[in-house]
Amino acid sequence: MKYLEFVNTLLKNEVSKHDKLILFGQNISAGSCLGGLTKGLSVRPSSKIINSTNSENTLCGFGFGMMMNGVSSIFFMKQLDFLLLGIDHLVNTYNIIRNMKLGSNSSFTIMPIVVDNGYQGPQSSLNNLPDFCSIARIPGFSIMTKWEAEKIISTELVSPGFRIITVSQRLFKEELLSPEKLYYSNDNNTVFQYSLGKDATIVCFNFSFPQGWLLHQELQKSNIDTSIFNVTSATPTNWSKIIDNVQSTQKLIVIDDSKSQNLACDALVAEICVTCNLKKKIILKRQLSNDWLNPTSDLMEIDIKHIMSQLIN
Amino acid sequence: MGLDNKKIIHDILWLRLAQMIVNEEYKAGKFKIPIHLAFGHEAIAVAMNHFMEGDDKLILSHRNIAYNLARHGRLKPILDEYFLKPSGLAEGKLGSMNVINSQKGIIYSSSILGNNFSVATGVAMAQKILPQNGITIVLGGDGSIEEGTFHESLLMLKSLNLGAFVIVENNEWSMSTRIDQRRCPIDLEKLTSSYNIKYVRLEGNNSIEYIEQLKKLRKLALDGMPVCIEVMVTTMGDWIMKTPENPNGKFVNYHAGPAPTVELKDWPLLIKTSEEDPIFVLNKHANSSVLEEMSREIRDEIKKDIST
Repeated sequence: MKYLEFVNTLLKNEVSKHDKLILFGQNISAGSCLGGLTKGLSVRPSSKIINSTNSENTLCGFGFGMMMNGVSSIFFMKQLDFLLLGIDHLVNTYNIIRNMKLGSNSSFTIMPIVVDNGYQGPQSSLNNLPDFCSIARIPGFSIMTKWEAEKIISTELVSPGFRIITVSQRLFKEELLSPEKLYYSNDNNTVFQYSLGKDATIVCFNFSFPQGWLLHQELQKSNIDTSIFNVTSATPTNWSKIIDNVQSTQKLIVIDDSKSQNLACDALVAEICVTCNLKKKIILKRQLSNDWLNPTSDLMEIDIKHIMSQLIN
Repeated sequence: MGLDNKKIIHDILWLRLAQMIVNEEYKAGKFKIPIHLAFGHEAIAVAMNHFMEGDDKLILSHRNIAYNLARHGRLKPILDEYFLKPSGLAEGKLGSMNVINSQKGIIYSSSILGNNFSVATGVAMAQKILPQNGITIVLGGDGSIEEGTFHESLLMLKSLNLGAFVIVENNEWSMSTRIDQRRCPIDLEKLTSSYNIKYVRLEGNNSIEYIEQLKKLRKLALDGMPVCIEVMVTTMGDWIMKTPENPNGKFVNYHAGPAPTVELKDWPLLIKTSEEDPIFVLNKHANSSVLEEMSREIRDEIKKDIST
């Protein structure tokens, strides 16, 4: 099953369960329905689907206003960049809501698509959810695998509080990543572990899990047994399980495909450097060329052979 | 003078005197936070308090003191909030620009210009979905209508058939610039008519008349129609500041901070000959000796309240 198909099926199932739930966003039930993400959504009679105006700032305030007056909603957004127009609400409105516990039984979720498949040009260099989440310590999730989609959509999409949940457009037409076994996930749905190996620890951030999973499989062929984690959170979280694992393997590989200078992985790396006795540390971040603002491929490539030699030597 | 009118007059005098007491504390340098006083905004604030009923929701801006005082009816909890005391209206967590009072329908106040219009669209949507027996009322000023979200919110309110009052307090100023110093004129009536939104202008600072007009408009909002109400106000407290560069004094429009030329008095009139001052307008409803006696009693009541 394709990534998009799976996420869409989960969304259809989840939104149909709730009364008085408002789904809104531009063209969410018209045209391509956000490239298929919101295609076929249907809600209970007490709920409503709104093909909204092109008013992102007000649409963010709209969701918070409903929340503080006791109505839950989901704002589906075609592109993460559009959320830049709503930052005032992500910070100021959300701060008041949290401070005064307004609408504490209601849910508001913003679900933008991260346009990370490249060739969008200068307007779409933004692929980093942590940039939004860190400004006001907003809970944020990026969905990579079958397990994450199931857990995050079933427990976070409509749940008291506010959060941002993102999906990767690059993966829409790709086969869904479905690791055979989920070894561990924390209570916050922010750290997922898909293998338990003794030779190294791989930790993936933002939308880099496909690269990490490929690396894990290739290393396995060479009898290098790795633990692999995906961090779905955009802000520092409870990653004690990762640190425990690194203390055991003493070899760390971190992959973060964000284009930002504000990387979620840096907080983990700093913590590990303080708490673990590392024999090997490989940090894979984007090396941006001079044409990074031009239409170009957004896929972050990693050199598996080089990583393998670094690990062995 | 009918009983209701007497109460309205009382409330206007009370609101002016309460603000004057806040101003005295402000002048004495007792606050750590900025406060945006609203001398001159009393008539619409008191009218709104008498107009609100049921599940009406009021969404305010940074200059919310008049509405919060009018709705709450006591100075001490609000004064304590400004002092950031746990005994404050919001346990000292909100200061001044974000004060809310959910029990009185004030569910949100924003310190960010225009931010509250969009929140109000959501509040109105929730009122429609739940449903609640009330309307959404959102306040802004002539500066906030320059924000894009004002237009976005009008558009959404109309497109989604959400009943709401969008109240624009026009005091001609945004911080230190008058409208004609910062932008071209905006004809709100024409602007709102392009959205097919009803426009009403209130002026004259007569609370009793304001209440009647607001009541007539309630049905429109209950039927899912937004209404834009422009209220003409004069924010009083201007003063002349002498500086080395301006030894003869420089005009300072009142925006925030204490109003040094305003002093607490038994009779709290600020402009003696003009309907710009809601206190002056009270002379239409009662003779001056009755008003002055009422004012003295109110002043004593407030002082007693805040000394407890």
